[in-house]
Amino acid sequence: MSSSILICDDSNLARKQVLRSLPDILSADVQLATNGQEALELLTSQNFDILFLDLTMPILDGLGVLQGIKENNTNIAVFVISADIQPEMQSKVLSLGAKAFLKKPVKKEVLIEQLQQHGFL
Amino acid sequence: MSNFNLTEDQQDCLQELINVAMGQASDQLARYLDTFVYLKVPSIEQVSSQSLIGTLNPSDTTVAVVSQGFFGYEGIRGEALLIYQPKDSDKLADLLGYEPDELSVEEQIIDLSSILTTTFLNVFASQIENQMSYSAPRLLASHKGAISEHIEQQSYNWDLALKVKITYQVTDYSFNCDMVLLIPESAIVNITDVLDRILASF
Repeated sequence: MSSSILICDDSNLARKQVLRSLPDILSADVQLATNGQEALELLTSQNFDILFLDLTMPILDGLGVLQGIKENNTNIAVFVISADIQPEMQSKVLSLGAKAFLKKPVKKEVLIEQLQQHGFL
Repeated sequence: MSNFNLTEDQQDCLQELINVAMGQASDQLARYLDTFVYLKVPSIEQVSSQSLIGTLNPSDTTVAVVSQGFFGYEGIRGEALLIYQPKDSDKLADLLGYEPDELSVEEQIIDLSSILTTTFLNVFASQIENQMSYSAPRLLASHKGAISEHIEQQSYNWDLALKVKITYQVTDYSFNCDMVLLIPESAIVNITDVLDRILASF
């Protein structure tokens, strides 16, 4: 099964952490965004199956991206990967439509488990 | 005076380590205060001892400041400053759920500062496989000019430092405090060694 993936994080290191946690079957079709605005622009011009999304970012944060996805009715599975682990934040992102909240730094086994749980593996 | 500008990759790596530590410290703060803490992107910059005061909101001359030193392995050390605005420090008793006169404002500020500093730095240290020890938190006199007096004293110890500024904003109460980490130039080379080690693993 092939899925196109967008990774949005202002940190190059964090983007690499997600990339290297992806199983080979999913790592062929990946694009990167460095802030929420870039991500929304990519989402309006291209189709993606999965978005890995950071929250604390400059220009437009992850909550702004989730709002944008909701307003545009974009069909995409969003996995939030953030250091902001407050329970209220986790509830907020799930209520905005994210499939799951993953704590930073992301662990390969956790990411794979979530992808399996949501039918991408 | 030397210049220790971090490379783009080193800065990015440090920023991500700080993000993770900040996230866990804010979670502790949120649980402690039973509220939500809004996080901003932290700032990292190089400062000289002469310019530092100008970067710490010099117009706010009557803030309360708590200082706590930290020391890790491999020569990683520095100072954490927790900076409160007077209007915010007055709200602490309410936030912390203390009865009036149960604990002085000064004691409350020291309590909260210690939680924030040690949580942040313990998480930071664990990510770089280090361990921190701490000096006792010290409330610098919360009178006019507290920051500038303190910084003037610090200028005897270093010329340049890496300054990391993190803002914790409690949305319910419009309360905020800044955590400023100052890592002197003599410790920076040790930090960059650690960052390079992490980067090499990618």
